[in-house]
Amino acid sequence: MRFIRSTLARIAGASRRTDIDEDTRAEMEAHLEMEVAENIRRGMSEPDARRAALLNAGGVTQAVEAVRDQQGLPWIDSLAADFRYALRSLRASRGFAAIVVLTLALGIGANTAIFSVVRGVLLKPLPHRDGERLLYLRQSSDGPGGANMTFSVPEVRDLRAGVPSLAGIAEYSSWIGILQGTEGAERIRTGLVTGNYFEVMGLGPVLGRVTEPRDDGPGVEPVMVLTHEFWLQRFGGDSAIVGRQVTLDRKPVTVIGVLQPAPFFPSRFVALLNMVNSEHHLGAMMVEGRTHRMTEVVARLKPGATLPQARREVDAVYTRLQREHSEAYNPGAHYQVTVTPFQEVLGEQARTTLLLLMAAAAFVLVISVANVANLTLMRGVRREHELVVRAALGAGVARLRRLLLTENLLLAVGGAAFGWLIARSGIRLLTAVAERYSPRASEIQLDGWVLGFMIAISVGVALLLSMIGSVPREGRFASRLLSGGHRLSGGLRRNRLQRALVIVQVAVSVVLLAGAGLLTRTLVRLSEVDTGLRAEEVLTMQVALLTPTELLTNPRADGAAKERYEQMRREIAGIPGVMAVAVGSPMPLRRSDLVFEVKAEGKTVPPGNAAPKAEVRSASPEFFQAAGIRVRGRVFAGTDGPMSGKVVIVNQTFARELFGDADPIGQRIAWTGDLLKFTPISGDWRTIVGVVADTRDGGLDMPVRPAVYLPFAQMLAIGGGLVIRADSNVASLIPAVTRVVRRLAPTAPIENVMTISQYKDGSIAARRVNAALISSFGALALLIAAVGITGVLAFSVSARTNEIGIRMSLGADAGRVQRMVLGEGGVLLAAGLVIGVVGAYFAAGFMGSLLYGVAPHDPMTFGAVALLMTAIGLAACWLPARRASRIDPAITMRA
Amino acid sequence: MPEKLDVKQGTLALMILRTIDVLGALHGYGIARRIEETSKHRLSLNYGTLYPALLKLEQEGFIKSEWRQSENNRRAKYYALTAAGRKQLARETAEWHATADLIAAFLAPKWETR
Repeated sequence: MRFIRSTLARIAGASRRTDIDEDTRAEMEAHLEMEVAENIRRGMSEPDARRAALLNAGGVTQAVEAVRDQQGLPWIDSLAADFRYALRSLRASRGFAAIVVLTLALGIGANTAIFSVVRGVLLKPLPHRDGERLLYLRQSSDGPGGANMTFSVPEVRDLRAGVPSLAGIAEYSSWIGILQGTEGAERIRTGLVTGNYFEVMGLGPVLGRVTEPRDDGPGVEPVMVLTHEFWLQRFGGDSAIVGRQVTLDRKPVTVIGVLQPAPFFPSRFVALLNMVNSEHHLGAMMVEGRTHRMTEVVARLKPGATLPQARREVDAVYTRLQREHSEAYNPGAHYQVTVTPFQEVLGEQARTTLLLLMAAAAFVLVISVANVANLTLMRGVRREHELVVRAALGAGVARLRRLLLTENLLLAVGGAAFGWLIARSGIRLLTAVAERYSPRASEIQLDGWVLGFMIAISVGVALLLSMIGSVPREGRFASRLLSGGHRLSGGLRRNRLQRALVIVQVAVSVVLLAGAGLLTRTLVRLSEVDTGLRAEEVLTMQVALLTPTELLTNPRADGAAKERYEQMRREIAGIPGVMAVAVGSPMPLRRSDLVFEVKAEGKTVPPGNAAPKAEVRSASPEFFQAAGIRVRGRVFAGTDGPMSGKVVIVNQTFARELFGDADPIGQRIAWTGDLLKFTPISGDWRTIVGVVADTRDGGLDMPVRPAVYLPFAQMLAIGGGLVIRADSNVASLIPAVTRVVRRLAPTAPIENVMTISQYKDGSIAARRVNAALISSFGALALLIAAVGITGVLAFSVSARTNEIGIRMSLGADAGRVQRMVLGEGGVLLAAGLVIGVVGAYFAAGFMGSLLYGVAPHDPMTFGAVALLMTAIGLAACWLPARRASRIDPAITMRA
Repeated sequence: MPEKLDVKQGTLALMILRTIDVLGALHGYGIARRIEETSKHRLSLNYGTLYPALLKLEQEGFIKSEWRQSENNRRAKYYALTAAGRKQLARETAEWHATADLIAAFLAPKWETR
């Protein structure tokens, strides 16, 4: 209360400055006169009386100032003065200010931009209600397709009954449907969800309603909840969509609501459906098959329950399951279930990359600040005289410090303002990159947290800079002033600090460059990877004539679809320029989702070992020629029809894993395992007629999986596509090809129309941006460090002009002086290099998962980086060295 | 001449309040004289100490000021206690006594503490 009242009085006082000063003066004059009168009354002479009174008063002007300080808010007044002064002094050294603001802008901008991604993708709380209680359950095993094999409905049932610390377990599975539109159709990825899904996820509608338990089971109305993004993009945010029917897989489905924006995992859904939309999901096979795994599981932790508790309970249930149903869990394949917070799962792909980028950005900031610190130190030496004079005139050490702080704050604010612009322009690029790693990329924005982060680092930088700038110490002004003004020595301590800063710059640059080098080498290695096919002038497109449901329910549809594919193939082959056209699935370089256990005739798997698994792929006779995949043995022939003998072609990895060095051609294999009974694929023996080269499906850095190609004619026409080879410029054929497909299949979705090289480039695009970002950070660091070295040495030379002049007049020649300066820089460079290489050695250890074909401690990369740094560093030393050697001793000595 | 003492932070406010309480409304000169005399000239108040302290007390609402004619026909600023000032004086006096007793007990000759 007292504080508020006096503060108010002070604020009032601050605004009525001059009146109050006069009032105070009048009061003190009265005081003085009274005292003089009293002294005269006591018998002093008038002059003596006045002198005594003045002595007693102790300086009227100081007293008025003291009253003024009590009167208003002194720090506001002096702050404004500091601000004006700082502006004036920065305007006086515009070059310095510009360099500092620019350097800081780069550092602050890079950090702000990357932090906004880290926050959006990793740190921001989930939009789900109590999102931190959401858990994702993952079942995994060894072998292809085992990393996330999802759950079967019976497994989920057992978990639900046996894990009391979970408040709810929801099931969902990814399901592709064909959405009919007015212009053609499109395949959309939807999630089939149980009625409790939204309750467990903690998500609500922005429009209409979401599904509830009453939407479960057979005999209910098929309904659809649109995701926010799809609603905006496909339906233009039309709120009248709720209650309308859309055609999905040629059946009507009612849209009941629009979901709040939310990320999905493992794939992005555009809509969510109740289970009745898929007959298969309500069938006995799905509901009773313990090995029929296609259900993702999310769960919500009960209030009060902990994650370790939930993990223990899940483990207990799972151990029991494995005992009771030993046939479903081959011990050789190491089945296990992990429980992970949903937020962590969403960020797991992005984490390493983002942390790497964040660290790189932090390094850039360190270098920029080191550089600015050096500039500040040098400027500090030049203005030492000015500061001493100010101190001697009564500015006080605290006041001087505040003055420097104000200047540095101004610089940092300038840097932050430009940094914000840099961040804003960079964020779109970063979001595009993040989309490849994270379902939460749309949540990236420059929000209050990011702004706070930026302000925090800016203020931190300003404080740091103000701490290193030295201020004349109290009581030593006189000696400083007398010692003769313009001695540009700088103390030994300051010199040492400058050198340390240069070493830091070099070291950090080396670390950044090493990271950039490793990532760039990875890119080179990836582009050198033998994809297994000749990719030039090959166009691929997916054309799904049938939905999986149609295939399963209408056996005749399959034959009709195959005929239509054959018709497309023949017509496209007639387009001038086309050399080969093939049908198959999936397209080259893409992974097949169908993975089954496989056995070879006459071979048994030793007990305790996992059964071998292979991808199912299909190909028409022209497929390998069109895609440019090398074949040994024969390719499929037109005679390999549905009624003739069953044949297959396998890839090299398959041949090696099942037959070792023996020739697989002529051997017989068959699909096997529990999963087979859920599919229309038969377990008949099939004869291997050819072996094809391994192709890098699913990513250039992915290990090759065993694959078996079936003749398109002997396989269901699931998700077919066209592979077209042309003699030149295949992309120019796209309109003609699309016209043919449209005419023959007016309602079929045509997707992923791209050349193989486009697809290949796209698959490494994210890595390329990563490498480019880190490389530009590295280049920036190198540049700043070089400027830093030059600056410090040049400063040292100009401070030692006299000394060098004396040396030269005593007989040192230009070469000797040059060597002296080069040596001075070389020591710093060498120290920085050593520290940097050691640092890079440790830092690279964390990058292992981002590298391909290059060891984290690749000696070539490290050597090249050291060489580059040395070359640039020596070049940076050379300029000041040359200047030193041109000092004219006669002129220096005279000065 | 007796040794001069510095005025301890916080004690000056109490002295001023007490002085005005005893003598009634008073100008700065009068307050300074009274404090110096009461301290037997061991304290001397220069303007830079006295006037900021007066202003602070006024800002806190313990005293109020007013320009008036003095006894010998000079214009001077007179300070008078407010109700809040009287309360504050009582409170600080009590606190001071308590502190003084406490310190006295600590500084008592050694044999008394046995």
